[in-house]
Amino acid sequence: MSSSRDDFGIAFRSALLQRGAAQKFSLVFLIFIASIIFFLDVYGFGFMKPIRSIINDGIYRVSLVASSPSRFIPQTTGSVTNLFNIKSENEKLKKALEVYRQKELSVEYLTNQNKNLRKILESDETLFQFQSNTIISKVLIDKSSPYLKSIIINRGSSSGILKGMPVLDKEYLVGRVVETNYLSSRVLLLNDLNSRIPVTFGEDGVQAILKGSGGSRPVLEYLPEGYVVEEGIEVFTSGKDRIFLPGSPIGTTIENGKVKLFSESSQLSFVKVDLSKQRKEAF
Amino acid sequence: MRKLINLGPLILLYYLSISEIDSHFENYFEILSFNIQLIIIYFWVSKRPEALGGGHIFFAGLINDVIMGFPLGLSSLSYLTVSLVANYVKNMTVNTRITTDWFTFFIAIFFSNLIFFILLSNFSEIEINLTEISYNTFFTLIFFPFFWFLFTFYNSIITTDKHA
Repeated sequence: MSSSRDDFGIAFRSALLQRGAAQKFSLVFLIFIASIIFFLDVYGFGFMKPIRSIINDGIYRVSLVASSPSRFIPQTTGSVTNLFNIKSENEKLKKALEVYRQKELSVEYLTNQNKNLRKILESDETLFQFQSNTIISKVLIDKSSPYLKSIIINRGSSSGILKGMPVLDKEYLVGRVVETNYLSSRVLLLNDLNSRIPVTFGEDGVQAILKGSGGSRPVLEYLPEGYVVEEGIEVFTSGKDRIFLPGSPIGTTIENGKVKLFSESSQLSFVKVDLSKQRKEAF
Repeated sequence: MRKLINLGPLILLYYLSISEIDSHFENYFEILSFNIQLIIIYFWVSKRPEALGGGHIFFAGLINDVIMGFPLGLSSLSYLTVSLVANYVKNMTVNTRITTDWFTFFIAIFFSNLIFFILLSNFSEIEINLTEISYNTFFTLIFFPFFWFLFTFYNSIITTDKHA
C-alpha cells in the first residue's frame, strides 16, 4: 500500500518537475506562469490592457496570413467551377446590360428625388442618418468555436470604434463590439450565449430580450406573461438600451420563440460598425 | 527534410492554434466539435516528448486564447494539464495499447476541460454551456483512435527515418 503511494508520488513529481532533453521549462513552472497570466488578465490590471491589445493585433495579423491557404483552396475550386459557367453567364449578363441601359435614362431623375428625400429625413434619428456614420470593416477571423460565437474585424480604436458599438451586415444587426485593440476589434455575435439584445416585434410592439443560445437560433425571453410567439413575425431592435438604434431588423420568429437571423453569421465578409450612437465606452 | 518531419507535430499544433481552421462543424451537425490540439498534445507528449516542448504547448495555448477570445493563459493551463497526465502515464507505464491510451486520454481531457470550465465560470464574465463542453469532450474522445492510428503511422516514419 505504502509502496504504491510512493510510486504514485514519484511518478507525479517526475511528471511535474522532469525536463526532457529538448525542454527548457518544467511543467510546474509553466502551469504557475499560465496561472499568473490568467489572473492578471481576468482581473484587468491596467498594464495588461495595452499589452493584450498589442498581442491581439499581432496575432490577428499572423492568423490572417496563416489562414490564407485555407481560404485560397476553396476559392481556387470555386474559380474552376465558375470558368465552366462563364459562357452562359456572359449571355445572361449581356441581356441584363440591355435592361440596365434602358433604366439608365431614369437614373438621373431618381438621383435628384433621392437627394430631396434625404434632406427631409436628415433631422430624424433614422437608419438613413445612422448609415452615414458607419464604417465598413473586413472580417479578419471568423474561427468557429463551440463555446464563443465571435468574429475579428480589421478596425479598432484608431478608427473610432468603442466597446458596445452595434455591428451590421447590410442593414441587419449581427452583434456588438466587445473588445477593441488599436487595429482590430472583436464582435460578439447575436447567437453567442453571452449576447442579450432588447427587441420589439409584432403589431402590438411587444418588448422582449433576444438571448443568444450558443446555437444558430437565438431565443426571445422576458415576454409578457402567457404570450405565445407566432411564426413569421419580423423582429427589430427596440433601442431601449440606448446602444442600438431602434428599428434595426434582426430576423423573423420561428417555432418555440426562436428567431431565424436575417444575416448568416458564418457568411460574413464585410460588416458595418455604427459609430453614431455611442461616444463613450458603456461597458 | 528530416528536421522538418520531426517538427511536424509542433507545426501542426501551432498552425491549428493560429489559423482559421476549426474543428466545429455546426453546419453539418450542430453539436459536432472536437479539440484536435488536445489529441496532438496527449499523443506526442506520451509517445515522443521531444517533439513537443512544454514551452511550445504553453505558447500554443496563449495563441489559442487570443484567437478564441478567452482570458490569456486559460488554454495554456488546459493544454498543460493534458501534458501533465500524459507525462505521468508515460512514467508509470512501459507498453501501451490503443485501449489503455484511449482510457488515460479520457482522464486527461476530463481534468483539462474541468479546469477550463471551473476557471471560466468562476473567474471570468464569459458564460459557457456545460453541455457544449460535454459534447466537445465526447467527440474528442470518439475521434481519438482515428488520430492515434494516424500519428502512430507518422511516428513510425520519424523512427524509420532516424534509424536509416
